[in-house]
Amino acid sequence: MIDFDPSTFGLAHTYQKEDKDEINTLALPSAPQVIYKTLNGPTQINGGNKLTNFKHGTTTLGFVFKEGILLAVDSRASMGSFLSSEQVRKVIEINEYLLGTMAGGAADCQYWLAYLANHCRTYELKNGSKLSVAAASKFLQGILIGYRNSGLSMGCMIAGTDTTGQHLYYIDNDGMRLKGDIFSVGSGSTYAYGVLDNHYRYDLSLNEAVELGIRAIYHATHRDTASGGVVRVYHIHKDGWTKVHDGIDVVDLHYQFAKQKGLVGDGDEAKQRLF
Amino acid sequence: MSGIFEYNGGSIVGMKGKNCIAMACDRRFGQQMSTITTNYQKVFKIQDNILLALSGLNSDIHTFYALMEKEINLYNLKENRKMKPTTFANLVASSLYERRFGPFFVTPIVAGLENGKPILATYDSIGCKSDLDDFQVGGTGGNYIYGACEAFFKPDMSPEELEEVIGQSLVSGCDRDSLSGWGGVVYVLTEQKLTVKILKTKQT
Repeated sequence: MIDFDPSTFGLAHTYQKEDKDEINTLALPSAPQVIYKTLNGPTQINGGNKLTNFKHGTTTLGFVFKEGILLAVDSRASMGSFLSSEQVRKVIEINEYLLGTMAGGAADCQYWLAYLANHCRTYELKNGSKLSVAAASKFLQGILIGYRNSGLSMGCMIAGTDTTGQHLYYIDNDGMRLKGDIFSVGSGSTYAYGVLDNHYRYDLSLNEAVELGIRAIYHATHRDTASGGVVRVYHIHKDGWTKVHDGIDVVDLHYQFAKQKGLVGDGDEAKQRLF
Repeated sequence: MSGIFEYNGGSIVGMKGKNCIAMACDRRFGQQMSTITTNYQKVFKIQDNILLALSGLNSDIHTFYALMEKEINLYNLKENRKMKPTTFANLVASSLYERRFGPFFVTPIVAGLENGKPILATYDSIGCKSDLDDFQVGGTGGNYIYGACEAFFKPDMSPEELEEVIGQSLVSGCDRDSLSGWGGVVYVLTEQKLTVKILKTKQT
């Protein structure tokens, strides 16, 4: 017979009560558990013991501006330090008016965003109107809370357009759902935020926003080893989404930006010792 | 990224040619997943005819190089002559073994020309010398560079061919390793000169 002892309920443990008099009890930790929550990392209990979280090795970003929403992502997949692919598609096209970005476990993101697509289409057929971005993101959050602590790894952004405008949500595997104007997810997000926060304005034009997204991803790919490959850029507007760039090589961007700064690579500009 | 050899990242490769040797290294200095600079020196000219390449923990790269500089300077002063590459190769092995129970976290490659004959030696971090191969690799991207080397290498190449082959091997190898890259430098040493070329690589 399984019984829940209230004192161990919070630890999600179950134990069998023996028919004998002695009962096996689990020792509780004496210190209170402190749960740390960060935007891009796993929920850590008692400080955690991970230095870095490789499952989120990527850089994705999205921001809301006057022309809609801009999403920009990199395309690298790495297994530890080995680069398994430089051509991954981290923006998932849920339907013509919703996009999802992928960070964390690729399988998890692909599957659950496809599941969300299915749900959106079913709703549309049953109710005669499209599912709002808020509702779609909330649906996904509900699923992820149900799978909490089971090892799913997803740090995605849901961005889309509906009758109330264009909206951007951040969803992760802990069941967090945040509505916001600027998000960057992944190991390279800190570098991307640096560039993004410095030049972001609500009244950017489309071209300026695309430039900003590309630049932020480039800087993240340069500094972060788990990000790289090509930059893919999507724009969400009132009529749906448009793929602005399918893949700009970040290496080309590096040399382009270097040239703009006057570094033409004809020597070691800092005149460092070579031998 | 566990492991002290993976903390800073970096890759090196050395090759023998016909009366010449070549050494190549990447230029990244990082701390785990973050890149700090892209112009870190990993190949050192010990003497006009000896090059020392080091990969591993950057702190120990610098310290071990400084130790070798000191040794060769003292040798020059005491013996009033240049050190032979084979002697230096031995010196590296014994200096590493001196720290057997608290080693330098480096994997060195020594390359040199002794009377026109190319010398190439590689070591593990406690000084096991291996000098029988025609090319050797080291660092986090080493295994990926091996693949490219095996495909491109042939014995007795001219300096120009060697430069091309070692450059390509380094770049292809580093492209699969996230901890190496951000530029490459190729050194080709012949009896007459040492040429240094900076390679344009992925900066990501």
